[in-house]
Amino acid sequence: MANAEKRTRPAAKGLTISWRRRLLRVFAVLVMVIYSIVTIFPFYALFVRSFVPTKESTQLHLWIPEAEEVRMDREVGNLAVFYDLDLNDMKKALGIPPTDFLMARTTLQEVAEKYNIPEEKIKEYFAGFYTYNGWKTLLRGTDFWGAIRRTIFVAGISLVLMIALSICTGYGLAGLVRRDQMLVYNLYLLQMVIPAMLILLPQYMLVQRILGLFPGYAAKGPTRQILQLIGLILINIKGTALSTMIFTSAISGIPKEIEESAFIDGANPLQYIRHILLPLLKVPIISLVVIQLPAFYNQFLEPYVYLDPDNSTLLPLIQTVAGQFSTNFQVIYSAIFASVVPLIIVYLLFRRFFVEGVMAGAIKG
Amino acid sequence: MAARKGLSKRQKRTILIQWAFLTPQLVLFVGLTIVPFFVALPILFTDMAQFNDPQINPVGFRNFVALFTDPSVQRDYLPALQRTLVFVVLNYSTVYIFGLSLALLMYEVGFKGGFFTVIYLPLMVSGLAVGYMAVMLFAKETGTANLLLLKLKVISQAIDIYSREGTAFILPLLVGWRYAGYNMAIFLTGLLGIPQETIEASIVDGASYLQRLFRVYFPQMWPSFILATTMCLIGSFAVFDELVAMGALYVNPEAKLLSILFFTYGFQVERLAMGMTLSVETFVPLVILGVALQRLQRRLQY
Repeated sequence: MANAEKRTRPAAKGLTISWRRRLLRVFAVLVMVIYSIVTIFPFYALFVRSFVPTKESTQLHLWIPEAEEVRMDREVGNLAVFYDLDLNDMKKALGIPPTDFLMARTTLQEVAEKYNIPEEKIKEYFAGFYTYNGWKTLLRGTDFWGAIRRTIFVAGISLVLMIALSICTGYGLAGLVRRDQMLVYNLYLLQMVIPAMLILLPQYMLVQRILGLFPGYAAKGPTRQILQLIGLILINIKGTALSTMIFTSAISGIPKEIEESAFIDGANPLQYIRHILLPLLKVPIISLVVIQLPAFYNQFLEPYVYLDPDNSTLLPLIQTVAGQFSTNFQVIYSAIFASVVPLIIVYLLFRRFFVEGVMAGAIKG
Repeated sequence: MAARKGLSKRQKRTILIQWAFLTPQLVLFVGLTIVPFFVALPILFTDMAQFNDPQINPVGFRNFVALFTDPSVQRDYLPALQRTLVFVVLNYSTVYIFGLSLALLMYEVGFKGGFFTVIYLPLMVSGLAVGYMAVMLFAKETGTANLLLLKLKVISQAIDIYSREGTAFILPLLVGWRYAGYNMAIFLTGLLGIPQETIEASIVDGASYLQRLFRVYFPQMWPSFILATTMCLIGSFAVFDELVAMGALYVNPEAKLLSILFFTYGFQVERLAMGMTLSVETFVPLVILGVALQRLQRRLQY
């Protein structure tokens, strides 16, 4: 009774409450706008920095800097060391015999005089050199496209196989009515609390031994490369706590009568999964895709350990590039930006699914 | 009761079919997650130095006690442990500073897809890229954030990411930034599950916002808190990619956390068995804690 009285207290109080609520709301929006700007800033800075030459990186750049011209008194060695100038490519473009050796201290002026090359031709070759140096080095001097191809290959196959296998697991565990089903379910739950680092070393040893059994694995070549990629895919599709939880609970929620009537109509379990379960599992499938796609695409530790450098996916390649061009941050930032962009485009195109999938997945944990 | 002892033909068939379907993934899962443990067990008692060590000798429990007796191991392990614990604490606080605050703000404005899209965006970035972004923003002389903050006179001295404090604070800041959307989703799900009537009632009764938080929201969000804790705890100990990008494997000793130590023992400095033992000693208590948290969460949920 006392409560009911309180609830119908004078309207004056109600006004202040609604004002307070409105104020809180304005404050909340303001904070979130600021947070959003701070969140986007690193991406913008990364984009700009991929065009800022190392030499100018001690100054603040909020936009792509004006391309400075490469002066004729720059030394070839300096350009090669700090800007990863591809000397073979330069020789070809300027018509210098590829067998000729250019001393590191040779300036561009001296090159022009020695080989009788007009200054304009050199200037033309070096147009935009400082600004686009990072991108040029990345796209020409590294196996960037190969790495992208392998990343998409591994991530795509892993995603499809993982979902297929996880649906089968979910079907096998549906209901969790028996002791053996509970046991298997709890085994999968363990995955959530086992850090990848704990099993990395023994897992590596085991996988190496198994792969070693296959003929042709020891020798460099396509067999070795394919086997390594298969090993990586197997690790990706082994199932996680999340995949098991999502599909087990989704399939448990489907009325038993549907399955029974399908079997009475003469369907076998595979047909039931393919034609009846699959269309009903759209939401959990999307949930898993939006969580696993970034995980597979951004995988670093496992491919870094399991794949040879000439067979690597995107992120290990970036780490190799960073080691190789350690003084040229322009290349590193270009590579990082290039690695981030494809997934962000996918994310922005399908953001509705990401939001729904993540919120649905978060309930399951 | 009778049905329990002798399963009918149909029940047997169902069990058989279910096992046929769950076996393929289970073989992979057990083979690649559980079996490695048992493969590793005998190695913990040897001096195996690298993956293709030709000569392996048994050493009894030496690896297990090395943590307490061997100064060379202590020199590596203890500072790494200290850094890891500092990171765990700071990273755990970012779960609340970013995740919980954003969830509460979002709840107050009503669910907005646009904000969600932006806040969740950093989760599309790899750990490696986050590490390089940290360097890009906070390297002492070239960091964009440093230069910007100096220009705006927010800070008077540039932050150095390669210094002790720099690494200790910037790393959790950026990792927290990356997982902000994920943690927000966890807390937001908890908030959205609270019955609307209890909130309205507390407002009408004149509860202040803080009272509402501690008396109405938080007590009804326990599963979210436990889930966020479990994920953060396990994730913090396993942080690796960000550290590699910050130069932990070579140039930046301040970023050498435990995960880096285990990696280098296995792949770089030829102390494989020791590295495995140390990782077991570190992580097994953590796995037990994780399982306990998981059980607690499930009990609270149902």
